[in-house]
Amino acid sequence: MSAAWAQAFALVFDPYNIFVMLVASLFGLFVGAVPGLTATMATALLVPVTFFMAPIPAIAAIVTATAMAIFSGDIPGCLMRMPGTPASAAYTDEAYAMTKKGQADTALGAGLVFSALGGLFGTAVLMLSAPALAEFALKFSSFEYFWLVLLGLTCAVFITSDRPLKGFVTLLLGLLVACVGLGNPAGFPRFTFGSTELLGGIGMIPMMIGMFAISEIIRYAVDTSPQLAIVDKPIGNVFKGMWRLAKKYPIQILRGNAVGTLIGALPGAGADIAAWITYAISKRFSKEPEKFGTGHVEGIIESGSANNSALAGAWIPALVFGIPGDSITAIVIGVLYMKNMNPGPTLFTTNPQNIYAVYLLFIIANLIMVPLGWWCIKISKQILKVPRSILMPVIMLFCVVSSFAINNTAFDVSVMLTAGIAAFFLEANGFPVAPAILGVVLGGMLEENFVTSMIKSDGRLMAFFDRPIAATLGLLTLAVWFLPLLLRRLRRLAGIAEQA
Amino acid sequence: MIKSLARSLAAATFALFAVSVFAAYPERPITLIVPWGAGGGTDATARIIGALLEKELGQPVNVVNRTGGSGVVGHAAIAQAAPDGYTMGLVTVEIGMMHWQGLTELTGASYTPIGLVNADPAGLQVRADAPFKNANELVAEIKANPGKMKASGTGQGGIWHLAIAGMLRDLKVDPAAVPWVPSNGAAPGLQDLVAGGVDIVPCSLPEARSLIDAGKVKSLAVMAEQPAALYPNVPTLKAATGSNWTTAAWRGIAAPKGIPADARDKLVAAIKKIVASKDYTEFMTQRGFGIIYAEPEEFSKFMAKSDSDLGATMKAVGIVK
Amino acid sequence: MKINDAVWGALFLLLAVAILIHVQGFPTIPGQKFGPALFPGVIAAGLGACALVLLARGFAKRGSRGNGARWIAVDDWIHSRRHVVGFATVLGINVLYVAVVDRLGFIITGTIYLGALFAVFGVRVRSIVPLAVVITLGIHYAFYKLLKVPLPWGILERLAW
Repeated sequence: MSAAWAQAFALVFDPYNIFVMLVASLFGLFVGAVPGLTATMATALLVPVTFFMAPIPAIAAIVTATAMAIFSGDIPGCLMRMPGTPASAAYTDEAYAMTKKGQADTALGAGLVFSALGGLFGTAVLMLSAPALAEFALKFSSFEYFWLVLLGLTCAVFITSDRPLKGFVTLLLGLLVACVGLGNPAGFPRFTFGSTELLGGIGMIPMMIGMFAISEIIRYAVDTSPQLAIVDKPIGNVFKGMWRLAKKYPIQILRGNAVGTLIGALPGAGADIAAWITYAISKRFSKEPEKFGTGHVEGIIESGSANNSALAGAWIPALVFGIPGDSITAIVIGVLYMKNMNPGPTLFTTNPQNIYAVYLLFIIANLIMVPLGWWCIKISKQILKVPRSILMPVIMLFCVVSSFAINNTAFDVSVMLTAGIAAFFLEANGFPVAPAILGVVLGGMLEENFVTSMIKSDGRLMAFFDRPIAATLGLLTLAVWFLPLLLRRLRRLAGIAEQA
Repeated sequence: MIKSLARSLAAATFALFAVSVFAAYPERPITLIVPWGAGGGTDATARIIGALLEKELGQPVNVVNRTGGSGVVGHAAIAQAAPDGYTMGLVTVEIGMMHWQGLTELTGASYTPIGLVNADPAGLQVRADAPFKNANELVAEIKANPGKMKASGTGQGGIWHLAIAGMLRDLKVDPAAVPWVPSNGAAPGLQDLVAGGVDIVPCSLPEARSLIDAGKVKSLAVMAEQPAALYPNVPTLKAATGSNWTTAAWRGIAAPKGIPADARDKLVAAIKKIVASKDYTEFMTQRGFGIIYAEPEEFSKFMAKSDSDLGATMKAVGIVK
Repeated sequence: MKINDAVWGALFLLLAVAILIHVQGFPTIPGQKFGPALFPGVIAAGLGACALVLLARGFAKRGSRGNGARWIAVDDWIHSRRHVVGFATVLGINVLYVAVVDRLGFIITGTIYLGALFAVFGVRVRSIVPLAVVITLGIHYAFYKLLKVPLPWGILERLAW
């Protein structure tokens, strides 16, 4: 045991390996900070490079780059309302509102410190209970996923509960967009009007870039008020007040970490869904829900740590059973096979030094994230000093190129522009856009899991309550829907009883 | 200012045109289009071929994912690319299926074939604790309780759907006796198999490998003429049930129609050399992928046969009318 | 642009009805009880219901303010030429990009793209071209070289590096 750990240390602290981790960090920070480039894309780009590396540096490159990318996705979201990766979209508005209030350092600091903490928590779970948790995650069939997705959509309603009707409308629009294309259980082309590009559906990422970034640029173009939207205040110490925040929100941190790791461990649900759900949980159980959306750090702490812990959680089923927890680990599994570290229970027993080395990589990646992220924030802050007349066109060209890069097609640039125009008019009329994006993310999953469940159960709706985990999740969802009503009714009844 | 810049740019462009007319193929980066997402088997195969092709031709090879529409989008992108030898793609078995469903006009004949590089036969996977010891017992159970056993592993009408439907038809069982549960690829289908949501996943052996090794899934047969190198103990379908049915998902390199002959010849030779190389065979064996090679002419016959076989199955099982 | 809720409601209702009619033509799939028409249908029905509430709200709001309330109220910027040009350029330049990028290539198109926007947003005239060229080349380097994104070369094909 200890000999294996010693070997693992030697593998990880090899100078070449440290060098690879540093380079991968910079790469990950860059990819994450460019709106539209995802952590998955960073991983895919690393694959050809890892062909020529030893197993541990190859995995080190991926682990570090993805951890950095998920954090640095917060930076453009916070400073310019342009989420760098989909995992940051859930709390982009919140962070941007903080920047407008001049609290960018707190928002970014919270993102950084609690991201690192989330990553470490996820790693701890990976180390201590990977096999047990993987067994649990494997019990999820379409019935369980259906409830999980429904729970996620319910969250969308919570996020926008100040304008429930208009939020519901944009959620439905998002779900409709998800219907476009061939990607439905029937394999029938819907709303494609004979276009090959539409057969592939409308991508969530170009849509996200359009709805957040392009609409912001249009707003800038027609902004008649002379003053700058952002409070220009030099970034102070981003670590200031973090200890105070940690003491103020211990439950939020723990809950974000735990929920994030669990969602990450579920095959098919990754960091982005973890961020949405934890942000909603945070608001639901907050003592000050009315502050959410106005630049309140509580939700950022919870979901910022959740998306990083989800990243580590996704490795659990990948390592134990070779089943990907998210799109990143789908690529990782291929790399593991190539490096003769075949995923499976035996990975933990034969040659344990390799798996220990992977644990160490996670720990180191999340630790060096703090200084490197701090440095990245300082550089990014310089961006705000660039005149907006130059900054805005450059960002827009970045958005165009990143939209193109998702699937290497100009069609996605058109999607981005259309979504941007739509979002501009919708937001000007009080329709929130975040639910539309969640609708696109979850729409396909909702339909797929519903229809496949119905095929499996020969159309029996009660089958959604047959399996123990499904029944629990189902009751939970129904409780979230109906409990507030029921409580109100009970309270009224109690009131009547007292009077009588 | 802008005018003079435009003028000098134009001049520079023409100068370069004039210089490079005589340069030999390839003189600039090559794009390799993959119709499936990053992380899958097709993507991995394309990336290793891309890396080796780069060494072989001395020009960067960019592997580009064009996903969506069950492969239609990417296959269309390959066929419609400029026929200059600088864009090609990894064509997959679906090229012989999509046009039957009316999703595209494209067939294998819409490309310049370069070389077949891989084929993975369908397996017949069930949960490790399932009560069937062999394929015959499974088929008997399907016959006894039509509609009870569900299968998954790809979308409606996908290659693994056809694999089991064709097998059942060959064994004189109604293909509708095993309802198909569409899934987003083999991994979610296998996950659902382990979770108890479905009973059979007729995907390829390398796709099921990690769960077979983890003792969660067992394979009862492989739908090929030879047992797979990865699991030599898994019997062929013929040995297990007497059925002659075989199905495989294959991948091959193809370019748009009408590329220059010198580019074509150079690519054909390069791919042939790569498939025989130690790097390629080691990589494919490591991943458990089957290696097969066919020269352009053979490859195009192979595609035509695959196309008509799949079409016949799709009609017979009622996926297309 | 402030558009009365009733107008939004009417638009969404139209969309919902169009979808409901369109999905009637979707086939049923053998072995699947719930076909491809179910989800779009349910969503469209939901959208239709929301649209009706929006319509009612819009009319109520208009009624309460008398006939003075407009269906569509334009923002101030519509009267400022500079802002209208800005709005049109932001949209137009993206359309232009999609239309010509494959032919002209990224470097030329990107330079025009940035140059036009810089000009509209009031960057100093003498900095426009150098900035546009340098930044375009920088973005090209980052995406084409580092991230291996196959940005088109267009007419500069022979120049490709």
